[in-house]
Amino acid sequence: MNAQADKQPVVKRESKNRIRVEFDRTPLKDRLKAKFLNSYFVTRLIIWIFRLVLMVGISYIVLYPFFTKIAGSFMSPEDLVDVTVRLIPKNFTLDIYKAIVSELGYWKAFGNTFALSFTCAILQTFVCCLIGYGFAKFKFKGRNLLFMLVMLTMIIPHQTLQLSMYMEFRYFDILGIVRLLKGGGIQIFGLNIKDLGPGVAAFFEKINILPDVIPITKKGIEVTSSGINLLNTYLPLILLSLGGLAFKNGLYVFLLRQFFRGMPDELEESAYMDGCGPFHTFLRIILPNSIPMLITVFLFAFCWQWTDDYYTGLFFSSMNTSLLVKIVAVPPSLSTSYAGTELYNTAIRNTCGIMIIFPLVILYAFCQNFLVQGIEHSGIAN
Amino acid sequence: MTNNAVDTILTAEPTKKRRKIASLDRRKARAGWFFVLPFILGFALIYVPMFFDSVVMSFQSMESATDGSTGYKMIFIGMENYRNALLVDPNFVPTLISGLKQLAFDIPAILIFSLFMAVMLNQKMAGRGFFRAIFFLPVILSTGIMESIAAADTLNTAMSSGIDDGSGTNTTNQIVSSMDLERLFSSMKVGTEIVEYVTSAINNIYDIVNRSGVQMLIFLAALQSISPAIYESCKIDGATAWETFWKITFPMISPMILVNGIYTIIDSFTTESNQVMTYISGVYSRTGGMVVSSAMSWIYFLLVILIVAVIGAVFSAFVFYGRKND
Repeated sequence: MNAQADKQPVVKRESKNRIRVEFDRTPLKDRLKAKFLNSYFVTRLIIWIFRLVLMVGISYIVLYPFFTKIAGSFMSPEDLVDVTVRLIPKNFTLDIYKAIVSELGYWKAFGNTFALSFTCAILQTFVCCLIGYGFAKFKFKGRNLLFMLVMLTMIIPHQTLQLSMYMEFRYFDILGIVRLLKGGGIQIFGLNIKDLGPGVAAFFEKINILPDVIPITKKGIEVTSSGINLLNTYLPLILLSLGGLAFKNGLYVFLLRQFFRGMPDELEESAYMDGCGPFHTFLRIILPNSIPMLITVFLFAFCWQWTDDYYTGLFFSSMNTSLLVKIVAVPPSLSTSYAGTELYNTAIRNTCGIMIIFPLVILYAFCQNFLVQGIEHSGIAN
Repeated sequence: MTNNAVDTILTAEPTKKRRKIASLDRRKARAGWFFVLPFILGFALIYVPMFFDSVVMSFQSMESATDGSTGYKMIFIGMENYRNALLVDPNFVPTLISGLKQLAFDIPAILIFSLFMAVMLNQKMAGRGFFRAIFFLPVILSTGIMESIAAADTLNTAMSSGIDDGSGTNTTNQIVSSMDLERLFSSMKVGTEIVEYVTSAINNIYDIVNRSGVQMLIFLAALQSISPAIYESCKIDGATAWETFWKITFPMISPMILVNGIYTIIDSFTTESNQVMTYISGVYSRTGGMVVSSAMSWIYFLLVILIVAVIGAVFSAFVFYGRKND
């Protein structure tokens, strides 16, 4: 200790305004020892390795099914029964992809699904924004009660309402208006006013002003006195989106409400000062300032609608509307019967899955930054 | 006379002022109503009739109409459907019980896992963005149709367990097999229930990872919103990381544990692995849209809501709310 302390650094004057200090450095070996051979560093290292192994392991668990799906999609029927083939195909082939594109009508289904998902996602994002903003920034009577109702719509699974939801859109009729306009009269608690007399019935017959078919789709929508048949159109999902009632919209409202709460009130107040109305403020000030959150919600809504098979199964019962989730099938040209048929069909189904989610993977690659950012800034714990 | 006039003026002025403020408030309230209007309309015009119909339907029996005008006819039969579901159907009650057990198993597993992963992902480390992107991948991709494809995926198991290669040694692809863990635990002399719980959680790890994406996001957001100053002062006072977690992090995010617990329960309704829902939709399609399924799902829903209410009530007593305004 003394020896080191005694060695004073030597200061040399090199030029007019430059000095050079020379001192003995601790040897490299000692420095490395001091740096790496202490309990603090060892603990850090162990934690680091442990964390890395864990992260890689869980990433492996998440990604492994995708690997097998992708690997299987390039295999020929022989590879699947070959025991020496595991993840890398021997006879590399694109047959399955080609068959899906040509025989199952991939691009048409893609276009339809894109139109449906995009419309629904935009509507849901906007409507949930409105609702979340209303709950976050305005005080009005019954606000908490209404918010409880929003949560209720999220808590009650739509599977519970399956049958009535189907009926609702099979015989779509708000407040009996369609029934009235089709000459069906008014029905109050099961009592039909038309039954009161022939004169009344004749009067209502004359009202029949709605056409039998409304040409919204190519085939048109059938209108009867018991309601409009909205099945096999996009309208049920669009209506649900407009009311903030679609899949997991309660979650979006919750997230957006938390997000808008975290925004400073001064933003709006200054806009109000400048004579901006609430809606104008919302459009001009609030929305541009919450882009990451909007993208997050849009991403959720878009992807969940894209892969959804519950609502599409319920509302698109006929095979006329081709959607991506309905193309999961074995193309006719690939149907074989050999020992590995089961495996081959699974591989085909998996390939359909890959082709369904491929656009989403690309979208996710671009948006995943916003996903975390948006949620991070939502100040959700407050 | 003059005094009176002054009095009236004095009393009139404050009321006038108050009215002005009230009108601004009312204007804001009106704007608030305007913003939530889409929900109110949708709720009143679409959701309430749907909800009401579903409840009424569970007390009815459906028959296809003979006159062909309305397509179907509903007959009120009282509690018949509920009686059928609970007493007549031999499989419903056992399925219900095992489904609730499964729920009780899933919730702690998902909550603990997602909290753990959120804490991990919140630390600064190399490749954090990359790991985050991977971990949130299932949120986006493993839903709906992908879930049902994965459920029927025999290829995955065939590839991972290794098709019998004849040599007798089964080449497993698993990183940790639950057998190893069992051995580890049996040497540790802990209760068999815990061992069973952990090992089955390990076996279901894929399912758990897949289902804890949103929860992870919510926890991560909650962790991010804790002020770093609190951690700094803890560090200065000499608290260890362990203490900091239990004294600071855990209380601060406890409201989100409640939220996530409820979200997990709701989410479990819609997953493919939910046996009760699978059974109910099986009944629905087997009987051609019979309303017994409606009654069944209401029974299931009410039971789960009861559990949610109990959990929420018990848990909210322990939840720490940092800010108690509105």
